[in-house]
Amino acid sequence: MSGSALPREFWLVLRDRAFVAWLLATLLLAGFAVWSGSREVGQQLELVHELTRADDEDRRTTFGQQSDWGSAAYYTFHFTHEPPSELAFAALGQRDSMPWKHRVRMLALEGQIYESDLSNPAIALLGRFDFAFFAALLLPVILIAGLIDLRAGERDAGRLELLEATAASAAALWRLRGGLRLLLICLAALLPLWIGGIVNGAGALPVLLASGVVLLHAAFWGLLAMTVGSRQQPAVVLLIGMIAAWLVFALVVPSTARVAIDRMVELPALADIALTQRETVNDAWDLPKEATMTRFVERYPEWEHSAEISRPFEWKWYYAFQQVGDQSVEEISEALRQGRRKRDRYAGWAALLSPPALVERTLQRLAGTDAVSLLEYEEKVRDFHRQLREFHYPRLFEDASFDPAGIDQLPRFDASAANAP
Amino acid sequence: MSDPGAQRLEADNLCVNRGGKSVLEDLSFSVASREVYALLGGNGAGKSTTLLVFLGFLPVARGEARVSGKTASAHPNEVRRCAAYLPESVSLYPHLTARENLDYFLKLAGIAPQATAVESALDRVGLQSSVRDMRMGSFSKGMRQKVAIALALLRDTEILLLDEPTSGLDPRGIDEFHGLIRGLSDAGKTVLMVTHDVYGACQVADRIGLLRDRKLVAEFEAPSGGRIDTETVHRAFGGGSL
Repeated sequence: MSGSALPREFWLVLRDRAFVAWLLATLLLAGFAVWSGSREVGQQLELVHELTRADDEDRRTTFGQQSDWGSAAYYTFHFTHEPPSELAFAALGQRDSMPWKHRVRMLALEGQIYESDLSNPAIALLGRFDFAFFAALLLPVILIAGLIDLRAGERDAGRLELLEATAASAAALWRLRGGLRLLLICLAALLPLWIGGIVNGAGALPVLLASGVVLLHAAFWGLLAMTVGSRQQPAVVLLIGMIAAWLVFALVVPSTARVAIDRMVELPALADIALTQRETVNDAWDLPKEATMTRFVERYPEWEHSAEISRPFEWKWYYAFQQVGDQSVEEISEALRQGRRKRDRYAGWAALLSPPALVERTLQRLAGTDAVSLLEYEEKVRDFHRQLREFHYPRLFEDASFDPAGIDQLPRFDASAANAP
Repeated sequence: MSDPGAQRLEADNLCVNRGGKSVLEDLSFSVASREVYALLGGNGAGKSTTLLVFLGFLPVARGEARVSGKTASAHPNEVRRCAAYLPESVSLYPHLTARENLDYFLKLAGIAPQATAVESALDRVGLQSSVRDMRMGSFSKGMRQKVAIALALLRDTEILLLDEPTSGLDPRGIDEFHGLIRGLSDAGKTVLMVTHDVYGACQVADRIGLLRDRKLVAEFEAPSGGRIDTETVHRAFGGGSL
């Protein structure tokens, strides 16, 4: 191929109004996807900022009004959250369908985790229009439409033989034309991502990795479209064939896999966890206190020496049956987490059969917005709750006198530790 | 410089099938250097197919098509480099002007377009100056044909393969085109044209091959310094239409 071939084809493609319009549409769609994701991330960051400030103020006020450690533990809430990562603007992922913020206190935890409402169930069901959605589902359609008629369009226009008879190498001509169109579409798709990365302060590495994923995906669909497009069929027949391939890869395979995985891996109902825990906690009021304390001491033997309850109400007994409430759903909660991880693992295998699903998962993983990342956040919340218990138990079981200055020793949720994708 | 008498195009017992049907059967003929050869035949006789086989676009079931000694199906790129092709229904890029189309196709052929050469070629084919910067979407078939002929001239190949080159041209344009072809032959070019125009073929060709029902049924050769007799060719087919 001569050195002038690229400028020659670039000149020609820029005079193809339909293709230029297609490029602009790609740029606009990708731009809207990035803007939409950035806006959502901006709102989440603003909400986090506001809640962190309000939580801090509320905690200081509430803590200062208490006179004993039990009340302080009961009335003081703690804001936990998983902040959006630097790449979350590109892939909001499961942040609509799984909680990324909880306000917890010393009460039984599992119910607090699973009782939380989704901010917008309708959006969670449909999914958001973010860059990952664009790259996984729309970009293939754009590539198919832009590349499928590369040769068939020339054949239908009656130019194919003249072009191939004139070109020094017909194969090189189609490779160059296809490659150039693929490159231009990729540039139009990736430019908004790069701008979004700069605006959102993302590092170069995650943006480059995300770009690499998109390029590989585009190469798959581009090569498939060019291969199918080289067949001696009218453009409309080839287009129908490629749209059928897109439907299979983008919709049929993922949805079939999802149904199969859901049937293979059944999950306990979230409501069962909350209900079981609540029943255990409520029943504890009517049970002999020794029964509760025995179960508590089995888990925390270090407090056996002060596990005796002599008054009708003692905070240590109250928090003991909160702990027993958590213990009562440990098995079902663990089954839920294991099931979710198993479903996610199976979905990962199934995604190998669906490039769009694989791209969406990979981008969500890079952005720390996938199911695994949010399950990790849940573990961070459990760990934080453990820290809270370990802070309060000595004060409750050793009957320590309340010190308002103790607020400075209260564990604080470390959001940055939970931020790692 | 081409070697007079050397065979530039050779069809040797050529058999071609398309869509499960035979479209050429045992076709054998050759075109020597500097010769103008016209393949005459009616619709479906296999004329255009023959050109596509010489360009290496169609596989042959049996036999061989050679261009300058090279088998077309085995060396399509080499064959296409030394043969300019003029399709029957010329379709260039409608959103480009005539000059832009020539510029693009010349670069595609690996030729750096020279403005003076382009203007000279467009003058030779008789395309008006006023339309040369107009988009070709508004061109008539004859105007598109002229631009395509100019492209074939500018490629300056040894061989020209022309499919119904005068279709769409007006009588004056056809007459000028015949003069052009004779001039190219005198300049050393080898021309294979397929046509159903008996009169035109007799005017311009050194030899005529008659294709009927996928087979070459007769050949006519012009006498030294003269032209093939139109009546003789007509009579070969009973004076009827081909």
